[in-house]
Order: sequence, then C-alpha cells, then structure tokens
Amino acid sequence: MVFIYLFSGLFLGWSFGAKDTGNIFGAAVETKMITFRKAALIAAIFVTLGAVLDGSGPSQTLSRLGEVNALGGAFTVALAAAATITLMVRIGIPVATSQTLAGAIIGWNYFAGRLTDYSSLATIAGSWVLAPVLGAVFAAILFFLFRAYLGRVKIHLLEQDVWTRFWLVIIGAFGAYSLGANNIANIVGVFVPVNPFRDVQIPFFGTLTGVTQLFLLGSASIVVGIYTYSHKIMRTVGKNLFHLSPITALIAVLSEAIVLFIFSSKALYGLLVKVGLPPIPLVPVSASQIIVGSVLGIGLAKGGKNIRYNMLGKILFAWITAPVIAFFFSFVALFIIQNVFEQTVNLESHYVFDRYTIMQIKDSGLDSDHLSTVNGRVFDNENVLYKQLKESGNFTKEQLLQIIQITQIHPTLIDTKILEDQGLQVNFTQPQWDALTRLNGRIFRHKWLLAAELAKTPAWKKMQTVSKEADEKHNSELDSKLAILYRNLYHPEK
Amino acid sequence: MALIMKTTRFVEGQIDTFLDIVSDSAMMFQLAMEDYLLDRHEQFEMRLSQIRDNEHRADDLRVSIERFLYERTLIPENRGDVLAILENTDEVIDNIKDSMVQFSIEMPQIPEVMDDLWMQTTRASVASVEQLAFAVRSFFHDLAAVNNYIHKVHFFEREADQLGEKLRRLIFSLDIELAQKSQLRFFAIHIERISDYAQAVSDRLSIYAIKRQL
Repeated sequence: MVFIYLFSGLFLGWSFGAKDTGNIFGAAVETKMITFRKAALIAAIFVTLGAVLDGSGPSQTLSRLGEVNALGGAFTVALAAAATITLMVRIGIPVATSQTLAGAIIGWNYFAGRLTDYSSLATIAGSWVLAPVLGAVFAAILFFLFRAYLGRVKIHLLEQDVWTRFWLVIIGAFGAYSLGANNIANIVGVFVPVNPFRDVQIPFFGTLTGVTQLFLLGSASIVVGIYTYSHKIMRTVGKNLFHLSPITALIAVLSEAIVLFIFSSKALYGLLVKVGLPPIPLVPVSASQIIVGSVLGIGLAKGGKNIRYNMLGKILFAWITAPVIAFFFSFVALFIIQNVFEQTVNLESHYVFDRYTIMQIKDSGLDSDHLSTVNGRVFDNENVLYKQLKESGNFTKEQLLQIIQITQIHPTLIDTKILEDQGLQVNFTQPQWDALTRLNGRIFRHKWLLAAELAKTPAWKKMQTVSKEADEKHNSELDSKLAILYRNLYHPEK
Repeated sequence: MALIMKTTRFVEGQIDTFLDIVSDSAMMFQLAMEDYLLDRHEQFEMRLSQIRDNEHRADDLRVSIERFLYERTLIPENRGDVLAILENTDEVIDNIKDSMVQFSIEMPQIPEVMDDLWMQTTRASVASVEQLAFAVRSFFHDLAAVNNYIHKVHFFEREADQLGEKLRRLIFSLDIELAQKSQLRFFAIHIERISDYAQAVSDRLSIYAIKRQL
C-alpha cells in the first residue's frame, strides 16, 4: 500500500523536475550556451547528489500551515499539488512548488476541520512577494556591475564565451544541488515515517539506509521529469518573458543562486548572529519566482522596453491561481479518496478539558476562569473548539491556539527502536538520545507532557528568556526535534 | 579549461591574423599605386601577386574560423554576426585585388598632373579600410571603442568621396581623348569604391555592436 501511496510523491517529483530544471538551466539552454542534453545530465547528477547527500527530513515550514497526519492525506495533498504543477507546466508557466503545496495543505485543513495558521501563511506568502522582488534587485545590481566590469577588462568575445559557459555550468550545478537538497523533503519527506525501504549493505561501499533509498527514488522521479518535460519551462524563462543573451542568462542564474543562498544558508545566519548583526530569516523561497524576478530585473535595467508584459501578466496570474487550484484539487481529491476508496486521509484529533490540561493552561499564565463552558468536555473538531473558546472567553488569537495545543490529545509511546529503524537517530545529540532511551516504554497523552518530561534533562531544556538569536535558534531546533518524536512515535489510544 | 582556452586563443590569433591581412592589403594597395604612378610596373605586379596571396590566405583563415565556430558551437548569440563581419571584411580585400587586376590589365595612362590628387584619394580610401580593421578588432575585445573607429571610417570615406569628385572633375578638364577620360573616371571610381565598401561594412558592424552590448 505504501508503494501505491509513494506514487503521488513520485508524480510530484516528476512535475518538480519538469518545472525547476527550467528555472536553473532555462536561460543557458535557450541562449544555446549549453545543449539541452548536457543541461539535463548536469541537473540529473547534481539534483540526485543534493537529495542523497544533503537532503533533509520532512519540510518544517509547510507543516506549520497544517500537519497532514495520515498517509492517505499526505498522498492526496501531494497528488493535488503535482496535478496543479503539471497543469501549469503544460501551459508553460513556472509556479512555486511550496506555493502549490501550501494551497493543497490548506485544502486538507478545510477538509479535516483543522485551523489554518494564517500568520504562518502570511509569513510564507510574504516570501512569495519578497523573493521575486529581491531577485529583480540583485539581477539589476549584477547587470550594472557586469556592464562596468566587462567594459573595463576588455576580454575577448571568444574568451568571454568560454567563461560564461563555464560559470553557467558551475552555478547551474550548484543550483541543482541545492534544489535536490532543499526540495526532496517537499517531495518524499512525508513518506519518511512510513518508509518501506530497509537498510542495504553494499560491499566496499557501506550501508545504504532506507531513507537514502527513498530520497534516491524521489530524485529519480525528478530526473525523469527533467528529461521528459522540462523543455517548455526553459523556453518561458529563457525566451518568452524577455530575450536573454548568454551574459544576461548568467546574471539571472547568479542572482537566483545568491537569493536562494541568502534565504537558506544556516552558515550565513550563524555568521550574522556571531558578529552581532540582525540575521536574515530562513524563509523557504521559490526558485521559480526568483528566476522570473531576476529576468524581469534585467529587463528593467535595460530600459524595460523589450519585456513581454502579457507573458509577465500570465505568470503573475498563475502565481495567484496555482494555490487556489491546488486547494480545490486537494479538497475534491480528499473527498474522493476518503469516500470512494475508503482510505484514511485524516487521523481524528480530540481536545480534552480535564484537570491536567486546565492546570497546564493556568501554569502557562492563561486565564482559566473563562473556561467554565468547556470544562470537562471533549471536542472532536479544532474549528468548533476554536469558535467555542472565542465566544466564551476573552482570549487573543495566540492564546486560543495555545489552549488548543495544550488540550490536544496526541499519545506518544517512546520507542527508540522505531527511530533507529527509520534512521532518525542522527537528528539527536548523545545526551538527548540517552534521555529518550531512559523513557522507553512510557506513553505521554499530550505533547506538552513529553516536552516537560524531557526538559528535566539539560540537553532538552529550552532557554526561558530568549535574549539572543542563538537562544532562539536553540529553542527552534528543540521544537523541530520534538516534532520528529510527535510524528514518528504517535500511538493512537484504543 | 586550459585546453579549451588554448584552442580559443588559437582562434583569436587566427582572427587577428585575418585582420592583419586586411590592413596589410590596404597598405599594399597604396604602395602599389605609388609604384604605378612612378612607372615601377615590375614592382606593381609583384605587389599584385602579394595581394593575391593575401586574398587566398584570408579566405582560408575565414573558412577555418567559421568551421571552428560552428563545430564547437561557440558564441551562439553572435556567431552569425561574426561570420557576416568576417565575410564582408574579406570582400574588402577582393575589392582591392579587383582594382589592381584592372590596372594590370588596362594599364591606364595617368597624366602626371593628376598624381598628387590620385594619391590623396588612394590614401583616404586606404585609411578608411585601416580604420575598419581597427573597428572589427575592437568589436571582439573593446566594444566601447567600435563607434570611435566607425566614425573615422565615415570620415575617411567622405574624404575619399570629395577627393574622388575633384579627381573626376580634373580628368574631364584635361585636354585628353574622351576615351582616356572615360577610362580614368572608371579607375577613379574604383578607388572611391574601396572606401564606400568599407563604410558599408562599418554600418553593419555598428548594428552588430549594438546587438552585442549588455
């Protein structure tokens, strides 16, 4: 069954390969600096290397929008996103994978009666505006720098051609590597907890873990997408929006790489924190949107005369409609998968107001006097609970979400063997792992109960007063480690 | 990378040699005219033979550069323009050679009174070709300088036109046979045409330079 479910991830991988190689190599291929075959080969190699060597677990950012808690749901959400991207690729318009996935996840939220965290959505949506704008700004700056530099160095046309090709390949390969590393989580990340592959011993090589095999399969689907369907997007990026020359193609790709690096480099984030400068937030940004922004920036720097504004309009329209289409696809598909194919697309969550949760609410500094109408009750629907609390108390939105989190029943059975089998042990430090091992066999009914128990060990203790960026980083790392436990050690009550 | 650069530099060398030949041919035309006017016919024929050799070498180089650019799919964006520039510039040498061949065949009698003006017209035409060679060279590694040289090509072409007109007026004011006047006019126009062609090539070059601009 898991293999059937995996197909939607592979379909998403295929559509992603078809779309995103266009973003990286489109300009180079359309200016005939690299042949399609060479570009596809480089992309295939480096996407695979990125996914296998540097691929991360399930996507953290998108899960803030809504945690799709059943494999059937994850399958349907991925399917809806893949179908939307394929539709857009057929039209020849590059859309963002994360944007489309966000639409599909919100579709699941509506279907499952879950709350959508609109503040997270606003942050993510903000990056959809910021990314292309930054791409355009960097491309315009680079354009003027290149023009001044090339005017000064007086390099021969043929040598300039050789260097342009060289850097297009290097930056393209780097882009493909980051693409594989960052996006494999979007593609097969949801399947990590139910990974059907077991570790394989390869003579003279070592162990090929199950997760690596899963990522390898995901990257194979991307490679198939690259070879079979990426040409159309390449044309849109390299030719249809604005006619690029080899040098401007290089500028566009370089600008894309810089913006992607700024928004995804943990090293840069750490460095800025270290020297006491305000860090740039690590927000997931879309390569599709940055490249379109970059091409547009170059067009504007050249006077804006030759930009095909009708094409630009089409792209902008697609950026707005893609998440909406994905939302509807997801909603309809979830209904069909649940009612026609009788698959579980949503694990029902319950919210209980008993003496433990009320005490915890009080301890968290929230006013429990207004909870008399819900005291002793169990809710099956997050939305209903939210409305009820809103009517009964004088709580802010953040406080309401906090109460919902505290009351949510999420039984977690500590079993480190499960984590070991899935190759997730690497995510924890030795003291953290030791603390987990000591809790083997214990069940925690609520997420906060497990967090509180683990916090008794220094390795799991959060910083109470977040004074520095480093403290904030420490706390968010602990949150993501706890999320791994909640997701993988979930043990439904009978 | 080093190997690619080595081959690239080899082609750059070929392009430079090609342009040297264009420039040499133009200067040789000027020297040949001096020889002709001073009745050094043997030396004139020797120079014609050198220009013939130059033409063959330029043709071979052009074909070799074209083949290299296509086989290695180099400069895809500018390849067509570069080939057009090389072909058009090559025709300038053909023009020079054709003029000299005509001199060699018809051996026109040029009255001594015309010598100075004849040479002035020749020098202006030759200068326009030399400036064209500079402009083409700049197209490859100093785009900003191209317009400067193109401006000079235009200047010398205008100069050649004016001097050519003077020359034709002088021809028809002399007391010589109408047939000789007609023949001399034909040769005067031949010399002017060299600069006209250089200007036509430079006009196309200025368009290619705009296309190459970032």
